[in-house]
Amino acid sequence: MKNNMKNEKSEVPSMQKISDVTSVISHQLKTPLAGIKSSLEILSSGDLGPLNKEQQEYVELTLGSAGKMISLVRDLLDASRIDENRFVLNPGKSDIAELVGETIKELGSFAQAKNTRITLNRAGTIPPLMIDGLKVRQVISNILYNAIRYNRGKGTIEITLENKGDHVLFSCKDSGIGISDEDKKMIFNKFYRSSRVISLAPDGTGLGLYISKAIIEGSGGTIGFKSDEGKGTTFYFTLPIQ
Amino acid sequence: MAEQKKILLIEDDKFLLKLYSDKLVREGYTVSMAITGEEGLGKVKQERPDLVFLDIILPQKNGFDVLREIKGDPEIKNIPVVILTNLGQESDIKTGMDLGASDYLVKTDFSITKLPEIVRKILPA
Repeated sequence: MKNNMKNEKSEVPSMQKISDVTSVISHQLKTPLAGIKSSLEILSSGDLGPLNKEQQEYVELTLGSAGKMISLVRDLLDASRIDENRFVLNPGKSDIAELVGETIKELGSFAQAKNTRITLNRAGTIPPLMIDGLKVRQVISNILYNAIRYNRGKGTIEITLENKGDHVLFSCKDSGIGISDEDKKMIFNKFYRSSRVISLAPDGTGLGLYISKAIIEGSGGTIGFKSDEGKGTTFYFTLPIQ
Repeated sequence: MAEQKKILLIEDDKFLLKLYSDKLVREGYTVSMAITGEEGLGKVKQERPDLVFLDIILPQKNGFDVLREIKGDPEIKNIPVVILTNLGQESDIKTGMDLGASDYLVKTDFSITKLPEIVRKILPA
């Protein structure tokens, strides 16, 4: 038994077919990023002694940048997996209302800083769904983050969850800048960002909606939007009720 | 108190090895280290640590092979092994947990400040 064990070789499943440059580089970036993040967390926690206010601020800012880099690497890996048909969802029973609530809470301070009010309405009982909760939460977060980021001062965001019988409809209506007709055709394209959006928020990647589309369609749903330029946008997606 | 508990770190990145090791030493644990899969497996057999943190992408022998050999050896199979890796795909997590890992952590997603809590969950004082 023991000898047989020695002769067996485990594969590392996610590494089997990694071929493209983005994927390889992204994987290589994760280790040093983990080191930078961990190191800053140790400093920030006071483990090595207290920091003065300015040192603490610098450490927190650098930690924030490390977090952004980690998110970027995650998005690049997801986009590569989508392109290579290796993007896998892992459905389990998940409460979408809870996911929405958590995301609103998570982005609450960002909304507050942008003076934007978020409301949540539910229509009908929302049953648990068989979805990849983490990934769907990523979609909700992406849509809500964009709604806050591209809103105007004293803006509003109305999130609605509706039971439509055979599916749940999530919608997020903002009072933001809206999407031009030209951009409407391109918005789900990989790396696409309009020049107007880049001027408002230069730090995006144009991967969020590309990945969101793959997650929702891979979950058996649909994703889309309605927008009036200058008036606001409503992003929506559906997920099937089993 | 946890002072007497010995933890083995199997990790090939020396920066991470230092960070994890220093953190655990500050928490009062005895720490041993290995930078390849072969060396790690040897230390599990020789030193019989109370807990192992195991990376997956390692020189000589990958972490899944190390875990399989630990769990296939009656002498050491009860030593808990926590996978600490940057591979966060569900397929990897499933492989690790199916092979008998006690937990599966993704380095970029977990906070090093939670490391003592994770150890205490598996090795109660």
